[in-house]
Amino acid sequence: MRLLKRIGFRLLVGVGVLWGAATLAFAALHLTAGDPALAILGGPDARPTQEVLEQVRREYGLDDPVIVQYLHYLGRVATGDLGQSYVLRVPVLDAIGEQIWSTAQLALIAATTAILLALTIALLTARRRPWLRSLVSGVEVVLAATPTFVIGFALLIVFSFTLRLFPIGGNSGPSSVVLPALTSALSVVGTLSQVLRNELEEVLEQPFILTARTRGMRDASVRVLHALRHAVIPTVTMSGFLVAALLGGSVITETLFARQGLGTLLLNAVYAKDVPVVLGVVILSAGVYVVINLAVDIAYSLIDPRVVTA
Amino acid sequence: MRTLRSTLAGVSAAVLAAALTSCASQQGSVAAGPNAASASGPVEGGTLRMSISAEPGCLDAHAISATQQALLGRILYDTVTTLDRDGNIAPYLAESWDISPDGTTYTFHLRKGVTFSDGTPWNAEAFQVNLEHMRDPATKSPLAAAYIAPYESSRIIDEYTLEVHLAYPYTPFLYNLAQSWLGMNSPKAIKESPETLCDHPIASGPFVLESYRHNQSITYVRRKDYTWGPSWLRHQGSAHVDRIEITVVAEPVVRFNSLVSGQYDITEAAPPQNATAIQANPDLVYENLVRAGNPWILHFNTSRPPFDDIRVRRAFVAAVNTEAVTRSIGFGTYHVKDNYLATPTKYYDKSTEGLLRHDPALANRLLDEAGWTGRDSEGYRTKDGKRLVAYAPTAEGSSVTPELVQIQGEVRKVGIDLRIQQLPQAQLTERRYAGDYDALGGVWHTNTPDVLFIRYHSSEITGRRIGQNAAYLSDPTLDDLLRRAREAPDGEEAARLYAAAQHRLIELVPGLPVHENHSQWAYHRYVKGIEIDTSHPIPVFTGAWIEG
Repeated sequence: MRLLKRIGFRLLVGVGVLWGAATLAFAALHLTAGDPALAILGGPDARPTQEVLEQVRREYGLDDPVIVQYLHYLGRVATGDLGQSYVLRVPVLDAIGEQIWSTAQLALIAATTAILLALTIALLTARRRPWLRSLVSGVEVVLAATPTFVIGFALLIVFSFTLRLFPIGGNSGPSSVVLPALTSALSVVGTLSQVLRNELEEVLEQPFILTARTRGMRDASVRVLHALRHAVIPTVTMSGFLVAALLGGSVITETLFARQGLGTLLLNAVYAKDVPVVLGVVILSAGVYVVINLAVDIAYSLIDPRVVTA
Repeated sequence: MRTLRSTLAGVSAAVLAAALTSCASQQGSVAAGPNAASASGPVEGGTLRMSISAEPGCLDAHAISATQQALLGRILYDTVTTLDRDGNIAPYLAESWDISPDGTTYTFHLRKGVTFSDGTPWNAEAFQVNLEHMRDPATKSPLAAAYIAPYESSRIIDEYTLEVHLAYPYTPFLYNLAQSWLGMNSPKAIKESPETLCDHPIASGPFVLESYRHNQSITYVRRKDYTWGPSWLRHQGSAHVDRIEITVVAEPVVRFNSLVSGQYDITEAAPPQNATAIQANPDLVYENLVRAGNPWILHFNTSRPPFDDIRVRRAFVAAVNTEAVTRSIGFGTYHVKDNYLATPTKYYDKSTEGLLRHDPALANRLLDEAGWTGRDSEGYRTKDGKRLVAYAPTAEGSSVTPELVQIQGEVRKVGIDLRIQQLPQAQLTERRYAGDYDALGGVWHTNTPDVLFIRYHSSEITGRRIGQNAAYLSDPTLDDLLRRAREAPDGEEAARLYAAAQHRLIELVPGLPVHENHSQWAYHRYVKGIEIDTSHPIPVFTGAWIEG
């Protein structure tokens, strides 16, 4: 009961977050210069007639006051209608639907890879010799600080241009997802493994670990059977960060690897001032964030019931 | 160009040989050509994989102005007319036409037996529906509608004859009808489901759209019953390859490397920085063609300071060593340009060459004359305490327009402060139409000298209507020449008027011409039979095949 109440409250907050995101994005897009009617008609090299311009303004309600446009917009979003893309001339939901699987696939594979890598590194290096720890920690810091496109480019040069093991990009079969997924994974793995190791090191100093060791348990078993369970909490905590980083980074990864996806969709939409698409992607991202946080919350109370009372 | 020509010779000879009508001399030319190995004839089947730099977001020819349509349009669409190898008007979906003596009535005699891929026949009604669709405000046409602006009405004479009435004599009409942006859509699709044309265009071309994933890929399959290619194609039958798969690869480095590694057979927009590597690679063919229309020009906004003063415009042009700029940004693949009409454009006048010259001494003298005699602490010229500044906005991208960066360095030497402003596309568009800039760089491609009307006639100044006169140039002498030129039928009179217009432009200096507008692409040598549509100029794949 308490859990249900909690979920209900979080959902309410989630709706608030969505409304806030939609409003902020709407305001930002309307504050920046650039006439959407001209954008719809193809940019600075187009030769639309005045008549066509007026037709577009009428059709998209661009001659209404901003507040009217905003209320119209909220009304439509509330009924699940995200409008029509100015540039692609298809419903925003269709435009997103067309790209979302590609991005989700990439994010899922990247997240799994990153978590497995981070866990392995953390398990192998927690409370080990100082030089090994500093070496690995150094690599992690460098990875976390390296821009995604540099990582991606390095992978491209080695595995695609030189060794020709993987295709340069596109969405052509499983092999085309390897390099982009690795790029995304490497861009977050440094941060992730540092957090995990810190958690593991704290756990490894707990009395129950000492008890286990005195019972004659081998080091590897202690780490995997006892300590690892506690590392799950920070992993769950960081899933919000993971999702945000992977979604945000998808713009770069997708452009570099010529992949379809929400990142490319958003980037093009921002350049072209394709307002409905930008707002659609923003609302979607906020929605994903809300859902993930809700799931994290529920997962907490399942893993450790004490969290709920906190 | 040479490589391509010999490929073409090989194709045509092979076709002739297959038909057992070849003559000895033609055979001889095959044996002598570098592609003699392909004399065995075209291979049927296979998939042509191409990478392109960007996709238009919509594939309805009438609803877009994107550059890529020049190429993509040729895969899917047929046009009413076409330009032959020499750039002259030739038949395509229209077999012939009569033009009334006053130049306002065109009677088109259409080709019989052509169908759209949904089975609808091509006829006078289909043509009429297309013309109406282009100018219908609901189509939101950014380009096609403007190209047929003088179109008033049309009358169906019989199934295959359409009489088109123009508001005034307009010789560019036939040229415009040859462009990819004026390809013919299925009239059934236009009438029944116009909202689907962007994603599922239905046309009568050699290939049919199979799938279209935005920002990612476009796939076409060939039409087996296609028999109406234009005569210059020398291959009227259906295409040899089964499919064309196009992938968007935005990064130039990745585009080049994926071509070399064989992930793609051909790439549009071959990066000039890789031209040397492509040319040195024996497996690749490099094409570097010049587009008709406007070359790359930095247009001056002549309606406001500082470029309302013709001395400042002349000084700016004289200050820039365009030769050096062109060499540097085109990595030796671009041709330098010193006038306002691209060289391959009809009625291009060679006698204008060399009139705009790099002359820093002249630039300094002109700026002194214009009163910009002071110098500030940074060495820029001043007048009444104000610095000589010019703002040049440009679209935001991964790098700044290299032309602007180079020009900035050049004009600094004579004391002009050129400031580059990187803006999102939408903001740039708004600034462009508001006339809120001092200088604006870019190319403008079309296949007729009427580009000069589009770019420099005073009626094309944005304000009264949306036009492309980015220089805000308004000169009665030029206006008169350009109006008479577009009304004059093809021939000596038109040539004379366009020559006079080009000379007048050199006097008015509406911008700094820098280099030609290049169409660069590269492909693997195993791809044979690629031809060129001279309207744009881009590759045509109807007769292409992949050698095993």
